[in-house]
Amino acid sequence: MLLLQLLLQGLQTGALYALTAAGFALIFGATRIFHFAHGSAFTLAGYTFLLASGAGLPWWAGAAGGIAVATLFGIGMERLVYRPIQRHEGSFFTVFVAAFGVAVVVQNLVGMLAGRGFASVDTPLSRASEVLPEVFLAPVFWIALGVAAMLFAALSAFLGRHPAGVALRALAQNPDLIRTYGLSSSRLSVLAFALGSALAAPAAILAAMTSGLNEAIGHHAMLISIAATIVGGVGSLRGAALAGLMLGVAESMALAVVDTQWAEGVSFLVLFAFILFRPSGFFGVVQTR
Amino acid sequence: MTGPLLARRALLGTALAAPFIRPSFAQGGDPYVIGTLFPMSGPNAEYGKLFTDGVQLAIEHMRADNMLRRPVRLQSEDSQALPQQAVIGMTKLINVDRASWVLVGFTAVSKAVAPIADRAKVVTINGGAVGPDLERLSPYFWNVIPLAHLETRAIFPFLIRRNLKRVALIYVDDPFGDAILQLMQREFPAAGGTVAGVFSIPRAQQNFGAVAARVRQARPDAVYIASFGAQQPQIIKGLRDNGVTQPLVSYSGINIGSVLSLPEAEGLIFTSQKFDFSGGDEVTRRFAADFKARHGTDPAIYNTNYYNGTRLFALLARELERENRPVNGDTLRETLLRLREFDLVGGKASFDEHGSMTAAIQINEIRGGRMTPIAG
Repeated sequence: MLLLQLLLQGLQTGALYALTAAGFALIFGATRIFHFAHGSAFTLAGYTFLLASGAGLPWWAGAAGGIAVATLFGIGMERLVYRPIQRHEGSFFTVFVAAFGVAVVVQNLVGMLAGRGFASVDTPLSRASEVLPEVFLAPVFWIALGVAAMLFAALSAFLGRHPAGVALRALAQNPDLIRTYGLSSSRLSVLAFALGSALAAPAAILAAMTSGLNEAIGHHAMLISIAATIVGGVGSLRGAALAGLMLGVAESMALAVVDTQWAEGVSFLVLFAFILFRPSGFFGVVQTR
Repeated sequence: MTGPLLARRALLGTALAAPFIRPSFAQGGDPYVIGTLFPMSGPNAEYGKLFTDGVQLAIEHMRADNMLRRPVRLQSEDSQALPQQAVIGMTKLINVDRASWVLVGFTAVSKAVAPIADRAKVVTINGGAVGPDLERLSPYFWNVIPLAHLETRAIFPFLIRRNLKRVALIYVDDPFGDAILQLMQREFPAAGGTVAGVFSIPRAQQNFGAVAARVRQARPDAVYIASFGAQQPQIIKGLRDNGVTQPLVSYSGINIGSVLSLPEAEGLIFTSQKFDFSGGDEVTRRFAADFKARHGTDPAIYNTNYYNGTRLFALLARELERENRPVNGDTLRETLLRLREFDLVGGKASFDEHGSMTAAIQINEIRGGRMTPIAG
């Protein structure tokens, strides 16, 4: 039963990883910008929800606030940081250093304004009850899985059927072709950042209810996102989501044989294994720009 | 003629005023620098505030009582409860600020800075860390808190009496947690108990769902938590959220506001040193009354320990000033070992040859968000 319990725990964690990783993969896949500050969208969304809950606002207002803040942050990064850099130089390292700098600033601002240390939202949704002998599940488990499934279904439908979604996929494949068809690559880039950052918000809100937040949590979210993007195959949203889920399950199942401090290491062992034996990841495709 | 006349009048005036300006002369000269190396930021900042409140009140009392001839200056450095930050802070306190007395907390921090204090012969006082191996770190490293082996040993008979014989241990993966692990594995079976399982966690761990699953599988009668800082409420919440209903047990480090106010912490049992703020001696009553007047709450144990740690400096330095001897690490140590007993908060406090204060231990329970003594 321990294995089943760890598997279920892993699915819950993996669902949150999948959402965060899919957001990063969407941004990176469409724009090829290594958005290291994606973890900051996670942090900001989580703390917005936390502050709203602390202020006594209803959960839906906090959730809407979190999603709005994450989305605005993503758009702001595209407009105010990446676009000016790309206009002048746009090298990978300049973009990376700028994003890293923003991530550090956000971490410190959150620490100064909301306090340093762990913080969580006290909710009955995180209280588990015994559903099978020795197997405990909290309502938040079903919420995490349901939200993840619903958002992926919606995102897949958007990218597959909506003209803007199709254009986003085209942007990833060939930005010049986008312009030939009279579409604005800069607007599509903003859309990618808005959608990708918004995807991190539900994960952050659920993390605030379960494991809690701290001002540096964005770095962890970012590490998992990078690992999932590589394991899933660069450019593949489906791959990143699946890899995020798999990393969560691997991290949890590892506890059946190792102590907690090694659990995160297991995620990176999986990553190294993929880099060594399957560098293109689950669904990797060769990308050219 | 005007010059010599004015000089004579000034001299006469000064002589007449001399008896009334004693405090100014008494507090003249270079100040004694009391350094603090506490976590003022990061997940353990809550402790830094608790520690500093105690130090500040002690300095206020020291000044009000004109205990020392030289003034006292408080110099604070942020350790973040991390050894590497602490080493930087300690080096600055000793080499730049010329601190005469440094107050520290946290086992890993204490172990990191003790060699620096030892080389510089600067007395370093621990009032918060409880790792058992802090007892003989250095001749200049003293403890004004009973170390964990005393606290943890004290709860073993209590657990056996309550028929909580199978105990699972969740311990943080650092020198403090390792020390508790060794103590538990070595001494709990001898006391008649069984260690049902041991689960190490990293300092930054936040998600305890999987740990709770493993704890449940170990089927303990109680769960001992050996962690510190803001991680503690997360562990308690994580265990309770994930179906661990057994009594939770811990040590004095869990007595912080974020744990006391947590609904899931209700019924948690923990050890601490014994204090009676309501009765007792003048030093204790004054401390308790002034602390409440200043902060609006009763003092916590850490407030008391760091008050005592600072007051101990004043008592030793006053003794040295009376003897017209210099105040330095060697003379402070020699005076401590000569006097051994001091009037501190909680009554007469005795120090052993290693500079560790001995104290009685009590067992408390969190009831209604407050620490309630239940035994000892």
